[in-house]
Amino acid sequence: MKNIFLSIVFLLIILPSCKVEPTPIGYGQDHCHFCDMTVVDKSHAAQYTTKKGKSYSFDAIECMARQLINDNSEEKMEFIQVANFAEPGNLIDARTATFLVSDKIKSPMGENLSAFNDAKIAQKHLEEFGGKLYTWAEIKAKLSK
Amino acid sequence: MRLIVFLFLLNSFFGFSNTIEVCSSCAVSTITEGVALAVDGDTVLVKSGIYKEHNIGVDKEIYLLGEDNPVVDGEYKGYVFILNANNFTLEGFTIQNVEQSYTKDYSAVRVLSSKYFTIKNNILKNVFFGFMIEKSKFGLITGNTVSSHAKEEASSGNGIHIWHCSDMRIEKNHLSHLRDGLYFEFVSESFISNNTSENNLRYGLHFMFSNNNEYHHNEFRDNGAGVAVMFSKFIIMHHNTFHFNWGTASYGLLLKEIYDAEIHHNYFEQNTIGINIDGCTRMNYQNNHFVRNGWAIKFTGGCYSNVFNYNNFMSNSFNLSYNSRINDNKFEANYWSDYTGYDLDRDGIGDVPYRPVKLFSYVVNQTPETIILLRSLFVDLINFSEKVSPIFTPEGLVDEKPIMHEIHDKY
Repeated sequence: MKNIFLSIVFLLIILPSCKVEPTPIGYGQDHCHFCDMTVVDKSHAAQYTTKKGKSYSFDAIECMARQLINDNSEEKMEFIQVANFAEPGNLIDARTATFLVSDKIKSPMGENLSAFNDAKIAQKHLEEFGGKLYTWAEIKAKLSK
Repeated sequence: MRLIVFLFLLNSFFGFSNTIEVCSSCAVSTITEGVALAVDGDTVLVKSGIYKEHNIGVDKEIYLLGEDNPVVDGEYKGYVFILNANNFTLEGFTIQNVEQSYTKDYSAVRVLSSKYFTIKNNILKNVFFGFMIEKSKFGLITGNTVSSHAKEEASSGNGIHIWHCSDMRIEKNHLSHLRDGLYFEFVSESFISNNTSENNLRYGLHFMFSNNNEYHHNEFRDNGAGVAVMFSKFIIMHHNTFHFNWGTASYGLLLKEIYDAEIHHNYFEQNTIGINIDGCTRMNYQNNHFVRNGWAIKFTGGCYSNVFNYNNFMSNSFNLSYNSRINDNKFEANYWSDYTGYDLDRDGIGDVPYRPVKLFSYVVNQTPETIILLRSLFVDLINFSEKVSPIFTPEGLVDEKPIMHEIHDKY
């Protein structure tokens, strides 16, 4: 009886740790999975986490998008996250984010691409810096050309 | 004749250009004021002292000269100098304290859409970005010292950042404690020479999407990840020194998606990886020295038609690491310090081909932790057995003519 109780307790401890969660990006340590550059830019970094729970960091949103396009692996991902430009260091869901391509905001891999959580804030940046707004699907279409 | 001489003298005495002196006790006491008074061709002479100014806009063809290193303190407010003019010179200033930002690239000196300019002998201290040169042509940046206190990569900037420019010359600068010492993004027809870039958090030099450039006689030391040259064509790299770039993901030189480059007479010493080659095609590596690196050369992606001639590979833990069984790269007439063959006909070329890839390097590629077995007898045994009858290493990956003696060639 005691054994059963103990094993239940053990399972309770073990089970939650099986949850798939993104690993925080190690800025300055992690290397971009696509281009091998060190990830440093908190306002342009990106990360996806597979359904098995392994996270891959990217130095720029365009790198992650290209990797997903190359591998055609978006369905395998539990999380696809991009940095919120308005709140550096904070990652948001790429599939619901609004993207801005603007010459005035440089991104690490030359696509001048940044992401915003809130469409209104994106609109505000669009008015300040100029450029064009995109959705995640549009960004992928643009980069796969 | 006399008249001509007289006119000539007149011209030199009452020339068309004026000098405007700026000092704390002068009529003109700020640089901003001095620049406002100047017209094209004038000299603004700034005497020594401390000037607490920021966002000094210059849109005239003037000579800004600092005498006895006047200090311009940006007080962490935006940019210090913003230059948008042709034919200007900025010389002899000490510029310090530039604001940090996540969204704006604040820099000590920002040059926008300018041509034919010279920036020389300035000292930049405690900056975010040092020089930020955008959409400019025909610029010379020489003899400057740029340093900062970069502790975290995300909150630090680059020393000399060049973006969308062409025909630039970057010479004799010293860059330290920044994120990237030098950063070239969309730059062409430019030369980088005789610079020292050290103790930077990320790269000593970073090239992105920049074609037809040349860098030579530079020294890159103790940088976080070494030097990265990426997504560029027709780059010539020679007579550079890459050393002491140690760390798990550190290298002397990272080449990623490079085509048609020439790499010769460089010195790679004590790096975790001398050159990391990823997706590079039609490259020539000649007369380079690889001394005491973890891996002298590591191929990590599809690389075709790379040629290695007359290089010295001395005392590296691994001379070459390879990730596939197909080989389209050529190694010929290099000196390998661990070559154990003989030269019976005494023509200076070993009679037995040399195989630069050790079997153990495959094991390490698969399972990095096995590196602790590096010096064990077992590893020597498997390396030896592979050498005798190669199974895993690509068949054609041999140096048919290994040179018996070190190549003494000035690097």
